[in-house]
Amino acid sequence: MDITVQEFWQGLINGLALGWIYILMALGLTLIFGIMRIMQFAHGEIYMLGAYTVYYLTVTLKLPLFLATCLGMLFIGILGLILERFLFRPVKEDWLSAVVAAVGLTLILQSGAIAMFGLHHRNLPVLAEGPFNIMGNIFVPKDRIVAVVVAVFLSLILYLFLKATKYGQAMVASAQDPDGAILQGIGPNRMSALSMAIGCALAAAGGVLAGSMFQMGPFMGILSLVKGLLIIVIGGLGSLPGAIIAGMSLGIIDGLFPILFGHAWASLSPLFFVIMILVIKPQGIFGHE
Amino acid sequence: MSYLEIRKLTRFFGGLAAVMELEMEVDQGQLFGLIGPNGAGKTTVLNMIGGILRPNRGQIIFNGTEVTRLPPHLRARRGIARVFQENLLFRSLTVLENVEVGYHMQTKINLSNIFFDTRSNRIQEKALHQRALDTLDFVGLSPYSNELAINLPHGRQRLLALAIALATQPQLLLLDEPVTGMNSEEVETMLGMIRALRDQRGITCIIIEHNLKAIMGLCDRIAVLHFGRKIAEGPPEKIVNNPVVMEAYLGKEEDAT
Amino acid sequence: MNREGMFKILGSIGAILFAIAVPLLLASTYWTSVFTSIAINSLMVVSLRIILTVGEFSLGHVGFMCLGAYTSALLTMKAGLPFGVTLPAAGLFAGLVAFGLGYPFMRVKGIYFAILTLVTSESIRLLAFNWRGLTGGLDGLIGFPGAGVLSIPGLVQLDFNRFTEYYYLTLAVTLVSLFILYRLEKSRLGFTWLAIRDADKMAGAVGVNVLRYKVIAFSIASFFAGIGGALFAHFERALGPHPTATFGVMTTIYLLIYMVVGGKSRFSGPILGAVVLSLVYEFARPVEEYQPMIIGAIGILVVMTIPEGLIGIPERFKKWQAKQIE
Repeated sequence: MDITVQEFWQGLINGLALGWIYILMALGLTLIFGIMRIMQFAHGEIYMLGAYTVYYLTVTLKLPLFLATCLGMLFIGILGLILERFLFRPVKEDWLSAVVAAVGLTLILQSGAIAMFGLHHRNLPVLAEGPFNIMGNIFVPKDRIVAVVVAVFLSLILYLFLKATKYGQAMVASAQDPDGAILQGIGPNRMSALSMAIGCALAAAGGVLAGSMFQMGPFMGILSLVKGLLIIVIGGLGSLPGAIIAGMSLGIIDGLFPILFGHAWASLSPLFFVIMILVIKPQGIFGHE
Repeated sequence: MSYLEIRKLTRFFGGLAAVMELEMEVDQGQLFGLIGPNGAGKTTVLNMIGGILRPNRGQIIFNGTEVTRLPPHLRARRGIARVFQENLLFRSLTVLENVEVGYHMQTKINLSNIFFDTRSNRIQEKALHQRALDTLDFVGLSPYSNELAINLPHGRQRLLALAIALATQPQLLLLDEPVTGMNSEEVETMLGMIRALRDQRGITCIIIEHNLKAIMGLCDRIAVLHFGRKIAEGPPEKIVNNPVVMEAYLGKEEDAT
Repeated sequence: MNREGMFKILGSIGAILFAIAVPLLLASTYWTSVFTSIAINSLMVVSLRIILTVGEFSLGHVGFMCLGAYTSALLTMKAGLPFGVTLPAAGLFAGLVAFGLGYPFMRVKGIYFAILTLVTSESIRLLAFNWRGLTGGLDGLIGFPGAGVLSIPGLVQLDFNRFTEYYYLTLAVTLVSLFILYRLEKSRLGFTWLAIRDADKMAGAVGVNVLRYKVIAFSIASFFAGIGGALFAHFERALGPHPTATFGVMTTIYLLIYMVVGGKSRFSGPILGAVVLSLVYEFARPVEEYQPMIIGAIGILVVMTIPEGLIGIPERFKKWQAKQIE
């Protein structure tokens, strides 16, 4: 367990950045599940598509990263609307059919990505150049800090949307009580569409952050999906503070444990963590009955 | 020492107290009614007696033993049975099969009768069939034994739920709105059945109902809940004229208008 | 016995006879190995469905297949045990792990359980990948002993390292396993599982220890997943934990689609799905890149048009016929 302070901070900040990417995934998944009652198992592929879309915009069309990301989030959000209307709405009555629709979509998107882009890994342009001085002579890459700031910012916007706007409040009400929400005056279809659009846009943002700081490849989606789902279980479905705490914990485990304990233990740790939480509190840290 | 004792039973949901410090005693062989306006916490109390919900505070003592933390299936073993408010039936099974599930505690499931069609297995199956049929007879549903449970009309579904509960050979029966949604004929049948259960089999019953006329005519003793607290208790005559009770019900109606 | 019962029995016998005749009919090691895979897939999908009969949903079935595969491979490789011992040991290990995980996992809501099983199988896969010492890491295990040779002196010598013999071995194990699972489902145990699926609150209220029955279903299903894994390991003679390889999410998705396309409501549904879609997958080899897309598209198509699955087509046809008569 011989590591330097520099390595420790590097691992920690990597972990935080990872954690916030996972949180963006979890937020989208929980929003979609809360409104549509469907677990969107293809969400990882949406994340991957976000990365690839922005790759195309920045590398091929040479747009600046910020603009490309905004456009990318918009396009993927629209994709979410299309998917909700034509794939998920017809099967929303039967949960197993909805699962098959989602995993079928995963297969289609993944093999499509491999066919179009090939198997090799790529990188998006960096979010920010150079090192950032945390304290003394400890330096961490500046882009990790930028990533965390961006993710926190997006989460904050989502939070404000849900708390302070008519649509947002209706969505929260609908998640808690599907029947009562109709009284809010907004139809369930429109809310499903909105939840998909927002969820997919968040996933796309996550994909961009990951593709910029780490590598991007056709299989990047599955890992992020699993992390997002794990956050939902640990933090409790529908809980924002739960998602944040769980996400940061998981991220730090992924960032630090391989350095501290080796990769083998690091791969089992999330599982042990979730088992421990469930034994103590089966609804998740902040979940309710 | 009463048959069923409830002491300081408390349950919170979020920050709200659904049931607050409830004290209740039920004697063996009693038909005990539990009434109150909507949201008074009646079903929550039944859920805690039945074991689906754990109280935050308090104790439930049945027949001398504390059962507060026992899971539902162990309470069933001690003789507590439940008829739920919503028509909870085994949807893919027939009426007869539904009752057979009720006899689970008397059915042996082991390796030999799973894989081998042993003679003792066949005897058991036959006995099971017959007992289930007898129970259906008691509630008057024998003609429908081979119908799918979900195909029955509402009133008969309630009777089936009762039959399933009876299959467990209960000593305490928890009935959540047994006659809601029934026409007057069906109500009479059900009430008669509940009385017969007490008279013939000595089964103690706790009944939640909104149909006040039915409850007043049926029960020996009634407790009234309002916002999670007991506001009155006594024989039906006392409850009917109790001003506190009337205000609780009327107050609710005024809020609604 | 009524007409439908006769039909079912004749159909099963016919299918079994066909399966036995396959190597002779198709006379090629390629197709024999394809049908070996189909047999293993059938076992995997039918055992997956067992979990569904108790009202739960698992996305981690391949994790137990992985455990079984590595258990059998390592026992033959490091401990020199014969296949006849390592096969049940593989199933037993997988079943025991499921039993241990089942108790904490099955207390929680259905969707959480599904997610937990997914996380479990991914963790198992990553563990296999990262535990270099035990599993050879990226290179994996190669060349471990196959199923060996069975000699009954004076009677027969069966070399299970050859394709045809291995096919019959796999078929035999699969048929026995399917028979066991079928009997389980039709027994009082299976009946209790159904009751739990329909109304677990009610089942608990009549004295059923719901958690225990769910864990039993999960353990039995995982036991057979372990058996499937062992059969797979000694078939491939190599195990490597790459994400697109057998024990990852892709396979989980395939198994799920095979089950639903075949039909989740009857025992034979998953078998039909496994056979049909495995063949589709095989015929799609020339366009290898699009294999996942084709399976995914078929899955989506089926749930949108015939959600009951292929096994439900005769019912649909009967209803359509009845409508025409009106």
